[in-house]
Amino acid sequence: MTSTVSASGLSLHYGGTRALDDVSLRLTPGVTGLLGPNGAGKTTLLRVLATAVPAQRGRFTVLGHDPGSTRGRQEVRRRLGYLPQTPGFHPDFTAFEFVDYVAILKEINNRAARHREVRRVLDEVDLGDVRGKRVKKLSGGMRQRVALAAALVGDPGFMVLDEPTVGLDPEQRMRFRELIARAGEGRTVLLSTHQTEDVAMLCHRVLVMAGGRIHFDGTPAELTARAAGRVWSSAERAPDAKAGWRTGAGTFRNVGDPPPGAELLDPTLEDGYLLTLDGHGLAVTA
Amino acid sequence: MTWHVSEEDLRAYARTELAAPMLWSADTHLAACARCRAALAEVSEPVDAGWERLDAELDAPRPGLFEGLLVRIGVADHTARLLAATPVLRRSWLAAVVFLLVTTVGVVYSAGSPTLFLALAPLLPLAGVALSYGPALDPTYEMAVVAPVHGFKLLMIRTLAVLAAGLGLNGLATLALPDYGLRALAWLLPALALTATGLALTPRFGPVLAPSLVGGAWVALIAAADAAADGGPLIPFTAAGQSAAAAVAALAVGLLYLARDRFDVFHRSAV
Repeated sequence: MTSTVSASGLSLHYGGTRALDDVSLRLTPGVTGLLGPNGAGKTTLLRVLATAVPAQRGRFTVLGHDPGSTRGRQEVRRRLGYLPQTPGFHPDFTAFEFVDYVAILKEINNRAARHREVRRVLDEVDLGDVRGKRVKKLSGGMRQRVALAAALVGDPGFMVLDEPTVGLDPEQRMRFRELIARAGEGRTVLLSTHQTEDVAMLCHRVLVMAGGRIHFDGTPAELTARAAGRVWSSAERAPDAKAGWRTGAGTFRNVGDPPPGAELLDPTLEDGYLLTLDGHGLAVTA
Repeated sequence: MTWHVSEEDLRAYARTELAAPMLWSADTHLAACARCRAALAEVSEPVDAGWERLDAELDAPRPGLFEGLLVRIGVADHTARLLAATPVLRRSWLAAVVFLLVTTVGVVYSAGSPTLFLALAPLLPLAGVALSYGPALDPTYEMAVVAPVHGFKLLMIRTLAVLAAGLGLNGLATLALPDYGLRALAWLLPALALTATGLALTPRFGPVLAPSLVGGAWVALIAAADAAADGGPLIPFTAAGQSAAAAVAALAVGLLYLARDRFDVFHRSAV
């Protein structure tokens, strides 16, 4: 499949910290997950690809446009939908007014056309009935959907979503996943998340980042397969396990190199993720 | 019904070319007037598009007082919404500025010298502009930075509006000091110089530190001039001081223009 976003050698340092270290990637239409621990560089990568922060080295293109020039950056932004990690709202705006405000920032100046677009995106995230409500009176899940609606304005070809399911309860999270799946139909969506369930349910590809570098780039099934034969159950904590935790059944689920004769378990995406992170500050025991 | 939408306006409405605030009046009227709806149907080609738009307009929320006022004085509705999102154009900020100016004018009357007013007045537009843009103060900063609208254009729209409000209030306060004649207007050029310098330094020092440095430098200058004054006006409010302020303002505007692209990406304080 032809890539819609491609980057090579992206690097960015803050002081002595390598936020991005020679990152190269290619994205195709559909939802790509970006997994990684705190401080892995996920948000920095998203901000660079969203043209908010310029990389110090390397280059990238979005839908054929190079944001290295002012004009190219403008073209990328016209095709971008961005949902930041903590979307801010003007407290006195209604949902409609807020999305309308973002539509103006996206250069939709014709009032009638803009209002049609605002109604369309609010309907798309199932908020048509509360569009006249002030944002500060909406629940956290609804506010997140207002932010997603704002990102959908203008039917962008590339969407960047930074941990959109954080802080949502399970029902809200399921609902939000449905919306992200819908948004990913025919678009390129890069979804940063801590939740491996998000990736398992939504993504056709997954990237794992740590220390400013990408350590895995493949399908969720391939990430899961990394843990095949390396997950086992034991009655006591296994001292040599890379990670291990007590399950609800009272036994320990261990990830790493199993001892001979160990009772092997079916691996999950999370197991593959933990093994990929091994050596990058991982410490998961309970 | 005491009035009806004119045929010319109905045709413009059907073509989706009728501008606000007449557009809002037409929307409201059409919802209640069968005669005008029938007239609209006659001039509309195709009719469905007009009804769809009417439906959309009736559904859209009415703008707030401030936003509606801006549209009525001729500001484009999309610009009015951008300004409505500017925190320092809200009532609380403007009320604080009015209170400060009234208090200062009162002090000037009792002290018999306009110096305090002249020293304070330039700081208010500087603070207003500084508070209208930046990651710490604009909740939608991150979304605005990656939007196609140029950051510099957004900054200028807000700056002009805040300057108009700030200078207007300062001007009204000046009218309360008629005894000092043109001397009471000696705050204007320093105000422009401080605001332009604060903005020009923002890409380098950030939206909080830059205006703070400029404001601090102004206070230090006034203190030094006060110490050096021998009963006469302070140097910044003399002809030489005013010329210097004009030169600084012009230089800062030039630097600001050169740095315009740097408002298009995150300031490092936001990263």
